[in-house]
Amino acid sequence: MASENKIGVYLCKGCGIGEAIDVDNLQTIASDELKASLTKQHDHLCGTDGVKTITEDVKSGDVTQAVIAACSQRVMTDRFHFNGAQVIRANLREQVIWCHPPGDEDTQMLADDQVRMAITQATKTSPPEADSDGEFSETVMVVGGGYAGLNAAREASRTGYPVVLVERSEQLGGWTRKWPKVMPHRSPYRNPQDNPIEELISKVEADDRIRVMTNTVVGKTSGQPGRFSVDLSQNGTTATATIGAIVVATGWRPYDAGKLRHLGYGASPDIVTNVEMEELLGSGPVKRKSDGKAPKTVAFVLCAGSRDPEHLPYCSSVCCGVSIKQALQLTQADSEVMVYIIFDELRTPGTAEEFYRAAQDAGVIFMKGKVKSVGADLTVTVDDALLGEEVPLQGLDMVVLATGMVPNSTNVDQPSPELDEEQTVLLKNDINPLSPFPVAGYAGDAPDPKEAADPPPPEGASILNLQYRQGPHIPILADGFADSHYICFPYETRRTGIYTCGPVRRPMDLSETGDDAAGAVLKAIQAIQGVAAGRALHPRVGDLSFPKIGLDPCTKCRRCTVECPFGAIDETEDDFPIVNTGRCRRCGTCMGACPVRTISFDNYSVEMLTSMAKAIEIPDEFDEKPRVLILACENDAYPALDMAGINRHQYSAFVRIIPVRCLGSVSLVCASDALSAGYDGIILMGCKSGDDYQCHFIKGSAIAKERISKIEETLQSMMLEAERVTTMEVSIADSGRIGGMIDDYLATIDEIGLNPFKGM
Amino acid sequence: MAAAAPEPQGKYDLGFARQVYGNIDGGDKLAMCMQCGVCSGSCPIGETMDYGPRKLFMMVRAGMKEAVLKSNTIWNCVSCYNCVVRCPRQVPVTYILHDLAAMAVREGYVEARKSDNARFAKAFWWSTRKYGRSDERLITAKYYFSGGLIDGTRKGMANMKIAMAMIKAKRMHLGAPHKIKKRGELKEILAKAKEIQERQPATPEDVK
Repeated sequence: MASENKIGVYLCKGCGIGEAIDVDNLQTIASDELKASLTKQHDHLCGTDGVKTITEDVKSGDVTQAVIAACSQRVMTDRFHFNGAQVIRANLREQVIWCHPPGDEDTQMLADDQVRMAITQATKTSPPEADSDGEFSETVMVVGGGYAGLNAAREASRTGYPVVLVERSEQLGGWTRKWPKVMPHRSPYRNPQDNPIEELISKVEADDRIRVMTNTVVGKTSGQPGRFSVDLSQNGTTATATIGAIVVATGWRPYDAGKLRHLGYGASPDIVTNVEMEELLGSGPVKRKSDGKAPKTVAFVLCAGSRDPEHLPYCSSVCCGVSIKQALQLTQADSEVMVYIIFDELRTPGTAEEFYRAAQDAGVIFMKGKVKSVGADLTVTVDDALLGEEVPLQGLDMVVLATGMVPNSTNVDQPSPELDEEQTVLLKNDINPLSPFPVAGYAGDAPDPKEAADPPPPEGASILNLQYRQGPHIPILADGFADSHYICFPYETRRTGIYTCGPVRRPMDLSETGDDAAGAVLKAIQAIQGVAAGRALHPRVGDLSFPKIGLDPCTKCRRCTVECPFGAIDETEDDFPIVNTGRCRRCGTCMGACPVRTISFDNYSVEMLTSMAKAIEIPDEFDEKPRVLILACENDAYPALDMAGINRHQYSAFVRIIPVRCLGSVSLVCASDALSAGYDGIILMGCKSGDDYQCHFIKGSAIAKERISKIEETLQSMMLEAERVTTMEVSIADSGRIGGMIDDYLATIDEIGLNPFKGM
Repeated sequence: MAAAAPEPQGKYDLGFARQVYGNIDGGDKLAMCMQCGVCSGSCPIGETMDYGPRKLFMMVRAGMKEAVLKSNTIWNCVSCYNCVVRCPRQVPVTYILHDLAAMAVREGYVEARKSDNARFAKAFWWSTRKYGRSDERLITAKYYFSGGLIDGTRKGMANMKIAMAMIKAKRMHLGAPHKIKKRGELKEILAKAKEIQERQPATPEDVK
């Protein structure tokens, strides 16, 4: 393949590149040393004339791979885009002239090496060919017929996509159907509003594109986005449907109030939960359960079992608003009713503040403090934070406990699936990225598991019962909610083509849920369209490449199937790995895991990375010019390095930076090869790992750290110091200190001395 | 500051907040108090109060009727209106404190005759009603001697130096008290005001 490549090298002199470095020297390197078929200089390549030059060369067939030595690969991508040619960028601007002194010998050496690495990269890649054969379904399956699911179904249908709406109970509407009024989401946000659910249900039922299936559960799900095969069992009969993408909108259930004995639940029939209060409000004027009398004095205990490490550690975000709503409903029905709302912190974001004021206006009394106890005689003892003393509220007629939301990540009505030992391990991996997972180690055995508390396996049956190598469940990050970085990648789960919306994703109220459903549906539609064209989904949107596994050298070690953060790789019956392209997000973690380097992409491989690293000129040890290889994650570290250049932060010119898709794709072979080639140190620069990870591929940087912890033995066998390979976690916000981090590392290398393998 | 903390237990009356909301001048606005404490922070004489207005209002909500009505907070307010101007929720703190004081007298929690503040208020009221103006000499004298002849003489002698200096600087005049014209009309106005006040107690419906 590489022999057919015609490499054209285009050297830009704009943005001060021409003044800061000797571009003629770069041209000599490209044409004489690396034998590029064509080399050209231009004053500003991104201008109309520059782009025209390249376009003509591509059109005439002189160039199949355009190496553009100009600015960062992150900018000008619209200009440097040519049909019929692959574009490879050498970053001379952000990472050379903007962060190193002009005219300096070391700056020139860095620029030379940038060109060498880029041309080498061009010889080691080929244009990716998409995997888009076969039939693809456009149907969106929505699981759960509550407010989230109904909205999702409706939004998908209105966008023109057929929908299968699956509901396990006999009617649509979920919890929302049981509520007489809902929190206001229209101006002036001061009064409880009418429940929109009946109207929504009738719209969905009248919709031709939506197939409503009640009394139905998902038996099992196999396949991949665009061609999921889903077994749906309705009233005991099972039918198989082909589905394009899945939206999970299974909602929530109230926290078990039976665990709230300390708040008096169960001690008196007049101590009820907020959900029970909704039912009382729904059945006419509220009457006490004990004697049927209308309550005159009611206290609401907020955060009942929420934000409590013994119960739900998180805030369910809606209980404050719901309590205000119920208080207003009570006072509006009877102005004589006195309502106390006892809160620890009242959370009324946005327009809910108006709602809170309306309740104050209506005379509802808000008391800040922690409820110490609720007696069977309904005495609520409050440790009042504003008075600094315990206040007993006596003579109450009713106490309402505002309990929180638990996500229906599983179907608790059905028994948990039996998992064998290995699946249990894998399930735990998926639940907690901090818990130990078997990692490809090249030297010695895997380290002992870290001391991390394993969360218990989820109760109940899997909602989708995925027939994936990595188990039936959708992975969960914390507190039972599906792992979707809800700020950076909302709706995403770690199973491509499967999206969550509504309170199964995070606690939220009705109006948020409606918006959430629309968001998840748009994600599902993107998935349907993307996979049909063989394009990758978020975060490498549009990438056509996918991992190809050469099965001949494969040792069936299963590291790729285990480490894939997205469960994209299954095993065949004879234990060989098989990639489900539609599920793959193209991070290359499998490539980094494979001990025999038999996994690669058309345009990304271990060989490409090691060749690029070795393409540079290593000065001999008497020059006292160390070389440090930085393998920088293209999502966070590489932009941070660019940003350092944009801000003109200066740092050592002894570093050579190669962008990688994810630190998870870095094979330890790259590190050991670079060290034997004479590099003095290696930095794996990636995103923050841990439970508040920022890794776009969830655990790539965690895996890299894990692998690095094992390279020590390899280094020892090479008689090298452990410091020669290190990891750094940076975000784009670290651009100001990234130069300092690099310089500090160079100082460490200076202390331990240059690599003794230099020049060997 | 020295007043004892209210006695816990048995002193909590859950109906008190509603009573204040419905019957106190500005009490309905008290419902909007969000306990930010700007009132207490703005009060120039907050240090002399048993509780600042913020805490007092929370005590109203907690139903601590006796502690609220026996506190000196409601008497010490000097009506500077700092709190009213600054309150982000437009709570008329000054009115509420004054009317709580009236409630305290009305319900027998304080004997007006024994309270310094009440005696001063009475003297002030006497001058205002009689002359339509506050005559500082007469108010001071009336206030000093309201505690008895001996107490009044002692207080007067203690302040003699200040009084002489004020006369010398022409800050206090010695002649007959200044009066307004048409004192008869003032009397009518006050009679009308009293009549309005006596329509109380109002019910929550009246307030709305």
